[in-house]
Amino acid sequence: MQAAVTATVTGSALGVGSELRNFQLRLGMWVFLGTVTMLFAAFSSAFMVRSAGTDWHAMPLPRILWWNTGLIMLSSVVLDYGRRCANQSRWGSAAAAVGGAGLLGLLFLLGQLDAWRQLAQAGISVPTGPFAASFYMMTGLHALHLMAALALLGWGAWRLWRGALDDEVAVRGVASLCATFWHFLGGLWLYLFAMMLLL
Amino acid sequence: MSDHPQSFWSKYIFSFDHKVIGIQYIVTGFVMAGIGALLSILIRLQIAWPGQPIEFLGKLFPEGMPGGYMMPEFYIALVTMHGTIMVFFFISYVLVSGFGNFLIPLQIGARDMAFPLLNMLSYWVGLVSALVMLGAFFVEGGAAASGWTAYPPLSALESAVPGSGMGQTLWLLSMALFIVSFTMGGLNYVATIFSMRAPGMSMMRMPLTVWSYFVAAILGLLAFPALTAGAVMLLFDRHLGTSFFLPAGLVVGGELVQAGGGSPLLWQHLFWFLGHPEVYVLLLPALGIAFDVLPAFTRKPVFGYRLSVYALIATGALGMIVWGHHMFVSGMSPFSGEYFSIATMLITIPMAIIGVNFLASLWGGRVIFKTPMLFALGVVAFFGTGGLGGLFLGNATADIQLHETYFVVGHFHFMIGGVTLMGTFTAIYFWFPKMFGRYMSEGLGRAHFWFTVAPFYTLFLGQHFLGLQGLTRRYYAWDSYQYVADALPTNVLLSVAAFVLVSGQVLFLGNFVWSIFRGRVAERNPWQATTLEWTTASPAPHGNFGEHIPVVHRWPYEYGIDAGGEDFADQSVAPDRAPVTA
Amino acid sequence: MSSESDGGQSVSKKKRGVEAEAVVALFALAGLVTAAYGSQDFFPELASRHGEGIDAMLNFVLACAGGMFLVGHLVLAWFIWKGAGRSRIEHRMATHTTERRISLALAVMMTLIAEGGVLMIGMPVWAEYYGSDGNAQAVAVRVTAQQFAWNIHYPGADGKWGRVDLQFLDDAENPLGLDPDDPASADDLVLVNNIYLPVERMARVKLFSRDVIHSFFLPNMRVKQDAVPGMSPEVRFFPTRTGDFELACTELCGMGHYRMQGMVHVLGAEEFEKWLADEEPFFGAAAVIGKADVQKKGNA
Repeated sequence: MQAAVTATVTGSALGVGSELRNFQLRLGMWVFLGTVTMLFAAFSSAFMVRSAGTDWHAMPLPRILWWNTGLIMLSSVVLDYGRRCANQSRWGSAAAAVGGAGLLGLLFLLGQLDAWRQLAQAGISVPTGPFAASFYMMTGLHALHLMAALALLGWGAWRLWRGALDDEVAVRGVASLCATFWHFLGGLWLYLFAMMLLL
Repeated sequence: MSDHPQSFWSKYIFSFDHKVIGIQYIVTGFVMAGIGALLSILIRLQIAWPGQPIEFLGKLFPEGMPGGYMMPEFYIALVTMHGTIMVFFFISYVLVSGFGNFLIPLQIGARDMAFPLLNMLSYWVGLVSALVMLGAFFVEGGAAASGWTAYPPLSALESAVPGSGMGQTLWLLSMALFIVSFTMGGLNYVATIFSMRAPGMSMMRMPLTVWSYFVAAILGLLAFPALTAGAVMLLFDRHLGTSFFLPAGLVVGGELVQAGGGSPLLWQHLFWFLGHPEVYVLLLPALGIAFDVLPAFTRKPVFGYRLSVYALIATGALGMIVWGHHMFVSGMSPFSGEYFSIATMLITIPMAIIGVNFLASLWGGRVIFKTPMLFALGVVAFFGTGGLGGLFLGNATADIQLHETYFVVGHFHFMIGGVTLMGTFTAIYFWFPKMFGRYMSEGLGRAHFWFTVAPFYTLFLGQHFLGLQGLTRRYYAWDSYQYVADALPTNVLLSVAAFVLVSGQVLFLGNFVWSIFRGRVAERNPWQATTLEWTTASPAPHGNFGEHIPVVHRWPYEYGIDAGGEDFADQSVAPDRAPVTA
Repeated sequence: MSSESDGGQSVSKKKRGVEAEAVVALFALAGLVTAAYGSQDFFPELASRHGEGIDAMLNFVLACAGGMFLVGHLVLAWFIWKGAGRSRIEHRMATHTTERRISLALAVMMTLIAEGGVLMIGMPVWAEYYGSDGNAQAVAVRVTAQQFAWNIHYPGADGKWGRVDLQFLDDAENPLGLDPDDPASADDLVLVNNIYLPVERMARVKLFSRDVIHSFFLPNMRVKQDAVPGMSPEVRFFPTRTGDFELACTELCGMGHYRMQGMVHVLGAEEFEKWLADEEPFFGAAAVIGKADVQKKGNA
């Protein structure tokens, strides 16, 4: 059964080669990111509609969010370094970079959690107002997506670690898949953060 | 293609095979359809004979129908669940997920979907979603009762209607799961169609069925997330004390609601941003299927293939920007109403092209009466009928009078009920041999056609006319309204038609089950059709195509040619063996 | 399935079965019977000025859609009839040019019918319905919907609306929550489920909702507007005939949705003035409901 699953995931069960498989995974990722875009477009249109309400009070955001923003940008840089290492077949560095980016991502999540904690200590909870509710909701959903991406990064780091033993084309595909998802979520965070600062 | 040994579980239950997953979806969808149909019987009983007690039903539903008397809150829960189940868990599962899964790899010449594991997950999440929805019947307060559109504040406040308790929460969770499931499936459709077509299968050589699934999948992927967002926000409003959709100063059941500043219209925009494209997600595959089935029984190519492709794409694109025509009288700005009206009317152009291409596909052809052909003719007729109803409802001015009347009910039953039901049956009778290696019974199939189409016309055309008389929908009874007093007796006739329609489906059910085990054994290409699935064995084997993937040399409608004693050539027939005409 | 033929026309003819005749009859009759049945007048008796425009719009679409429905069904039946009598196809494919021309013709036709109908007939009516601006002669009424009743509020002789505040709300005694201390409230009229309007004068009905979404539907007036909590849309119309006309709710609002029935009484001009003069203000009979009493209940 496990062999069948692996064969299905890598595409060998479908008679699909590594190059094509990479294309399929990239395509699937972009289509998926399209739906995530639509999801957050819906949230942000709700955010904008709601910000016109009389009960809308923007609140100062915890300073740690700036540090988090820095962390996630840094992690994107590290991850991209890993992707380039993979292209040069430097599997050890690639795996380390992808894993490191994942650790930075984990730190980002902890930072977000701390932002929640700070707000909660200041007495700002979900029902406080529409801004607070939107903040918790959007950061929470972003974090959920990020956790999925972390899982992908973990798997990617493992594949890269075994890189030389494996199909090199496929492993590079995995690295670029990780990068696409991760950069997207980083960009999404910048967008959300900017929107919450400005509205 | 390695043929590893498979246990019963990995072969039929947790299978990666797109054909098995498709059949799982189809069977699940039909079970849900049975439940939805039983709900409709209860609804029609109440409409035709309001206040008449039916004792044995009182025993079945001691809370909803004590002593056999239908309670109003039970009635609106029935209406809500009938709509939700039929739209999302019957038509969507059978036609979009079921046949989509079954047909796409077979018709484009692929061994399976691009992401089989994701595909299997899609089914299992979908099944959980269906079970959560059904579970709502058994919780306190009963199932959701705010309509399949779930407009807040009604759907947000438990004090507003009993079903807005746990039942509504389950409804929202189920919808979110449904969307997750659809996303996994739709992603597969797009990736598969883009990347796994057989050699020679260019986009403009794909059967219209595949085209329609392609457009439908993209449409669903882009439109459905809006409702996920809406569902999350409504769950926040319901359970975490926020007010995304709740304005200030609501007094429900004598109690002031602690909320403020929200906008009920925001939900309507989010819902219909999903809701309207959803109509096309369901409708387009039925049209594509009819385009593929008609030529097999007229023995001539489909008319205007290229233009039909463009029309399907145009319908999908326009379908994304017209959601507001469900909200003409919602209090939305009148200028928005004008925009949505004008944009909606644009859809009539590609729709009319599709309708006339159907008719012209019959023009000059033979007509061979087989069950799939009868139902495909039903698709054509119902598409025309339902489509013309859209001319009324998409027109903001006419909609002032017709909004939320039975005209709407009749219209959408023809479109997302009728065209899709006909399309579903067309597909089942047509591809059953490819699924199970046997024919369905022709005699029972034809009887099923008559017991479906005739009452369907009566029931839902009748509802159009009730709507013109101003009969309001989602009413438990109209006894006290004088202006529709003349219209009410019609409802008895319509209810009888509904009972005939539902009982006629027993013919189908019997035929389906019987034919799986006892049907006449089918050959490889029983309808002498041209698409790739007919080039492989019936039932199609694991991996679909044996040793070699077929190479495509021609378009999918090579009928009416002279090909060595036969009048057709399937897509894999080489040019030197039969003339290539497109 | 196909008979051997040597190309002669007579050979390609085939006897049609009963089933072919039945299917042809089904679609032909569906077209004919529906068209015949549908040519009746279905609309509720008309009683408003802009309603004529709405009826004209509906009749235009009915004629066009009915025509296409009938023609479409007859063509379908005819093609089936002809096709069932053939054992070989008559022609195979049209040229791309023909296909394009047919599509273009359809596009032009649908543009004329659908867009033309909307723009030429529909939009002027839409503009009249939503755009009629303030009219000094207009009778203003406020309607506050709740589960499951319509609370009707007139400003009374002073033309000023009394202040409405939730603290005074009491389902039985003060369903609007009218402030008894506001001088403007003193002459306000409050009714339940009954609206009185003069004929041939503009009615301006401002809609509110207290709980969930309701919809204000006057079938005879061709008026429909959702009453959305947090919003206060206004509908304007001219009643053109006297009589009693029904009011129904057309947005699912809970289990009593179906019994949220009201009545619009359209009176002659003089009759209406008389009704206004005779109707007792809500706080008119102070003896019946003392202000303090109301306040106490409101706070409870």
